[in-house]
Amino acid sequence: MTSIPDYMTAKHRECDEVFSLAESNAAAGDWLLAAKNWQAFKDELLTHFGQEEETLFPAFEQATGMTNGPTHVMRMEHQQMRALLQDIDQAMKGQDKNTYLGLSETLMVMMQQHNMKEEMMLYPMMAQHLSQGEDIIESFKA
Amino acid sequence: MSLAGLSFNALPPIRLPFRFFITAPIFILLCTGLIAYSGPDLWLGRWQPPMLALVHGFTLGFLTMVMLGALLQLLPVIAGIGIPHPELLAPLTHGLLSVGTLMLLWGFLQFHSSFILAAMWLIAIGLGIYISALFWVLIKHISQGDSLLGFRLAISSLLVVVLLGLALLGRYLGIEWIPPSKHLTNVHALWGLVGWAGILIIAVSYQVIPMFHVAPSFPLIVRRFLTPLIFIGLLLSIALPSYSLPALSLLQGLFALVLLLVIHRRKRKVPDTSIRYWQLGASALLLTSVLFFIPEGIWNEYLDIDKTLLLTALFMYLYLMSIIEGMLLKILPFLSYTHLQQRCLIDFTAMQYIPNMHEFFDKRHGQWLFYSHVISGLILIWVLFQPSYYFIFAIALVLESTGLLVIMLKTMKLYFAVDKKISQAAKDRVEPPTASFKNT
Repeated sequence: MTSIPDYMTAKHRECDEVFSLAESNAAAGDWLLAAKNWQAFKDELLTHFGQEEETLFPAFEQATGMTNGPTHVMRMEHQQMRALLQDIDQAMKGQDKNTYLGLSETLMVMMQQHNMKEEMMLYPMMAQHLSQGEDIIESFKA
Repeated sequence: MSLAGLSFNALPPIRLPFRFFITAPIFILLCTGLIAYSGPDLWLGRWQPPMLALVHGFTLGFLTMVMLGALLQLLPVIAGIGIPHPELLAPLTHGLLSVGTLMLLWGFLQFHSSFILAAMWLIAIGLGIYISALFWVLIKHISQGDSLLGFRLAISSLLVVVLLGLALLGRYLGIEWIPPSKHLTNVHALWGLVGWAGILIIAVSYQVIPMFHVAPSFPLIVRRFLTPLIFIGLLLSIALPSYSLPALSLLQGLFALVLLLVIHRRKRKVPDTSIRYWQLGASALLLTSVLFFIPEGIWNEYLDIDKTLLLTALFMYLYLMSIIEGMLLKILPFLSYTHLQQRCLIDFTAMQYIPNMHEFFDKRHGQWLFYSHVISGLILIWVLFQPSYYFIFAIALVLESTGLLVIMLKTMKLYFAVDKKISQAAKDRVEPPTASFKNT
């Protein structure tokens, strides 16, 4: 059985790794490979957002009664990251290396400050307040 | 862990850390004036009054200034809450520390007891307020992480540095809180450089390197034991310096090696100036630690230079300053972006106005600053051997600190311009322009 912090944190790292691959490919001008890794990153990131927004956040809100607190901020930041994904899609299509790298650095900063808040505060709180946490994670793995 | 007080977007206003950051290169410029004015005699030994002034201008005016500014922003993210009443406490500490440091430098240069007394009060109150606020945060913290222990030890070290510094200054005024001893001055310096600055950098590196460069975490044993062992080494240095110094040097060398290894194993390898600063700093730290173990006899036979002076210069300028300058290059655009992005949580459409990270901060400028730091560092080492070339170091330092100042001002100017644009856009939506009313 895996805990919420362990599983979700590991997913952050996996996202970071695919993200870095796509970024290195773009920096080297290998757009074909960059597009493939970028797509893999987006799929992974959006699945992760979905698991949080549709399952974990509602469960946390129900358990704590905090609907307008941290999960609300996290949801808004997800929206901002989704917007950045679209901007990077455009740079990728236009094979515009400088814009791609500027935006990918931006997304990196946004993801990391977002991840820090989740990993250091929100996930440990979820582990504390959600008695069925490990079952939820098992359902994600399935 | 309690939910009360948790706020995910409680960053203190950006002008508060900016105020600390912008002051730092100005103090370096002041130090440059001191180097140019004092001439070659400054470099003859560490007990010269101008050298004391120079070292404190650098450690209090630059290093501590940046670190206090950075903590303002780091704590809400790392500890989950920031210092209480930042709008009141941060400017107060900044003002008292800035004026206090100036008084201290003047007091050292002129042997003027009233300036020393004023400096003691200003620095004691300024740093005292900040240290109390930091302890409050670290007691109330609501997050978890390996960095927190390091933060606690670093801030405790700062407290020791300040108390010992005040006692040493007291002796200038004839207040004999402590006996006359060069040993206690060494202890004061060691706690400042290895404790306050060194432990804080280690704690920050655990967080920053894996996250922003997609590197593996530091080994658990390092994260758990390194900073407490350094702290114990510092405690031992008070009574048993001959045992604790080699141990501390070994621990620093170990950290440098692990740091280089973690950086080497990072997955994100796009060119990045701040990682080069980390590599430079780690290499300088490793070199300092290796040189420490050269026996005095051999040292004196081959090297015509005071060992402590050279090792301290390597540690302060090429390790501490490299890391702090490199961090500034990361923190400035990061903070600017994060603050503007937080504003757009309420107004999503305003995201379009925010520049990307490279627009906030031109990567080439960062590279120039890095090269100028490497060059000024090498010139500093050369001047330690040949003090008559001091003016070349002064020129290199003016160029570097002006460059840093200009980079900061450009980033801040862009931040405030975008901030204004977002406010204007929000206003326009609430009150449509009068012209459109006339048209309808």
